[in-house]
Amino acid sequence: MAYFIQRLLSMAVTLFLISIITFTVTNILPGDVAMMIMGTQSNPAALANLRESLGLNDPLIYQYGRWIFGMLTGDWGNSLLFKQPIGPILLQKMTASALIVLLSMTIALTLAIPLGVWSAVYKNRWQDTAGSSVSILGVSLPDFFWGIMLILLFARALGWFPSSGFVHPNEDFLLALKHAFLPSLALGLGLMAHLTRMTRATMTGILSQEFIRVARAKGLAEKTVIWQYGLANAIGPVMTVAGLQMGYLFGSIIVMESLFNYTGMGWLTYQALLNRDMPLIQATVFIIAAVVMLVNLLVDLLYPIFDPRIELK
Amino acid sequence: MKSKIIHNAISALGATVILGLLSPAWAASCPVKGGTLIWGHSETTQNLYTHQTGTISTMRILQNIHDGLVTTDKNLNIIPELAESYVVSKDGMSYTFKLRDGVKFHDGSDMTSADVKYSFEKVMDPDTGAVNKPVFNSVGSIETPDNLTVIIKMDKINAPFLGRLAALGAGAIIPEGSAETQGTMPVGAGPFKFVRREIGNEVELERFDDYWNGPACIERLIAREVTEPTVRLTGLRTGEMHLINDIPADRIDEIKADKNLEVLSWSHGVFDFVNLNYKFEPFQDQRVRLAVDYIIDKEVLLQGALWGQGKTAASPGFSSSASYNKDLTQRPQDIAKAKALLKEAGYGPGDLKVVFKATTNYPYHVEAAQILVEWFREAGVELTIEQLTWADWLGQVWVDKDFQMSMMNFNSIWEEDFLYYSLYNSTGGFNYRGINDPVIDELTEKARVTIDDAARADIYKEVQQRVFDKVHDIVVWHRNSSFGAQKSVGGLDTLVNADGATYHFHKVWLKE
Repeated sequence: MAYFIQRLLSMAVTLFLISIITFTVTNILPGDVAMMIMGTQSNPAALANLRESLGLNDPLIYQYGRWIFGMLTGDWGNSLLFKQPIGPILLQKMTASALIVLLSMTIALTLAIPLGVWSAVYKNRWQDTAGSSVSILGVSLPDFFWGIMLILLFARALGWFPSSGFVHPNEDFLLALKHAFLPSLALGLGLMAHLTRMTRATMTGILSQEFIRVARAKGLAEKTVIWQYGLANAIGPVMTVAGLQMGYLFGSIIVMESLFNYTGMGWLTYQALLNRDMPLIQATVFIIAAVVMLVNLLVDLLYPIFDPRIELK
Repeated sequence: MKSKIIHNAISALGATVILGLLSPAWAASCPVKGGTLIWGHSETTQNLYTHQTGTISTMRILQNIHDGLVTTDKNLNIIPELAESYVVSKDGMSYTFKLRDGVKFHDGSDMTSADVKYSFEKVMDPDTGAVNKPVFNSVGSIETPDNLTVIIKMDKINAPFLGRLAALGAGAIIPEGSAETQGTMPVGAGPFKFVRREIGNEVELERFDDYWNGPACIERLIAREVTEPTVRLTGLRTGEMHLINDIPADRIDEIKADKNLEVLSWSHGVFDFVNLNYKFEPFQDQRVRLAVDYIIDKEVLLQGALWGQGKTAASPGFSSSASYNKDLTQRPQDIAKAKALLKEAGYGPGDLKVVFKATTNYPYHVEAAQILVEWFREAGVELTIEQLTWADWLGQVWVDKDFQMSMMNFNSIWEEDFLYYSLYNSTGGFNYRGINDPVIDELTEKARVTIDDAARADIYKEVQQRVFDKVHDIVVWHRNSSFGAQKSVGGLDTLVNADGATYHFHKVWLKE
């Protein structure tokens, strides 16, 4: 518990620092949201007027104070660009992102663990070469390549899945999955490659250890040796990598989001930055940072479950 | 749109009445009713409050939600819309609008003069931050003698006023008290009701059955926001979308070749021009500006940068409008002449170095600049390209006017004062080139107080001539805009508004 509280406190400090850095850096960038809203319809008078009405003329420290106070009281403020409360926008985009992040991770892990274990068991034999080839292919080809191929095959040629768009799971869960499937698969293939290599590497290490030989000598079934003795010990590092990847995916899958026109957190952050929508930039960066930290915390908390030797202090 | 303009007895009293007569046959033409149309929209909608939004992408949606007192016909003549008729006093100092009786807003309330007054006063209120606030600068008061009459009294003549009201940014009529919620829940008196929007994903509109001009053909309009052109094309070809706008120039033939699809292209509404900054000393010399014009082969530029999807033109005006100067023709490419002009101005080969700031927001501007480099080199001018993001371009070129040469496009600005005054008057809001031409200043000011439409059109023709003669800008082309659609979509000819940039789905229908 003490460990947990300590981690949460350090998270709060980090987030506070991140918010200050984001705020400062975005204010250094040329241009502001008033300019982006008006574009080439602006003239100096109208621009000045809009800046005033958006509160952009207030001192920076005041603008920041207003934001942090709002945050602490649960009011995320309004997006200046969309003229909508930020909370619901964030919730919607987080849902969209969470859906493909979780789905792609599920796909990746389901494929990667058996493949990695298989490669490790048949180390240096043809099975291993085959497994390694698959994962090298996955790592070498960028995920947007998979995306385009999947669209051509499953959307254009076969028509099994929609080529683009996002449907909220509350509206129609099956349809939401259908929309999320292709982008998740494209992401999952790349992820799978990473995780397969990770599983193979740790599993190879474990399988060559003393206790595995002892287990085999005891006459345990090979299946039990590999899955219960081997994998149970190898899974920790794999989960850590998977956790790190998940946090990373939330904000960084902008390419996949635009390829499938599946607007999630990556898209929202990009729009916010592009249009200098300060409150929205603050909120998206804050949320993504928080998610990355929370997922990592979660992985750390789960660690003792995979490996009882580890104690959290 | 058809309407009759009637100059009736009141003109004898020193004023002109214009009546819009709707033939019932026109209002009722829907071969098939119902269905949900899915439109792959090329851009993200922003703030939905019409008075506060400046982007055409959002206006494309709002155009279907709102109506104004007046609108335009295909040839950009002003015609009544929510007003049944209007009178402009002979001295141009007052506008009297007689409102249509029985017009309903989407919230069920009746439109009255109080709503009109409220809408306009909201635009005038500095706290609103309205993009089009300057439209009302010369308005003195807005009076509502009865429920269906609105009288706008001017402090000084502003002849273009009515034209500006025909665009929704200034002219949309919203129910009294609704300004606060328009951004999230726009309510108007147009043919479609707003249902919902998922930001960056889609906007849903529903037919408004009580629309004063007859209900729309389709039941529902879903505008999916798909910013990637390839994704839009895929959506159209898989049948997930009924129609998509903004097809990249190099992909149009692909759609034309598909027997299930059709392409609709039009070349009014968007013009592109090359800008020369007067702050950059060499460009203060007319001979240098003229030389630049002679360096550019507009036809080749159109083919090279835009795949030929447009029409070369010497004027930024709408060719459909009465004020368009049809006598202007672009100067042909003549490198020898350009060199001679430059030499005369004191710039031998290699003496002049120019930086061209192009924004990556319009990739074809960057491509055009790349084509220019070689021609400039032939003429002995070293042209270097600087690529800027949209935010940087707006900041450096538009706001700070820190550039030597650039390129920009404008869309939907058909109202002449908005176009020529803003761009070319020395105090104009869009005069980022620092043009200071007393002749143009005088002409554009004169147009503002010239009530007679024909006389005003002639003044604007003179302005175009002057801009061309003095090479204040080099207009290169009017770009094609295009739609790709399934053959199952009917009424496409009614889709594009006269401004060339916004769409109206009122009479669009689905065959199945």
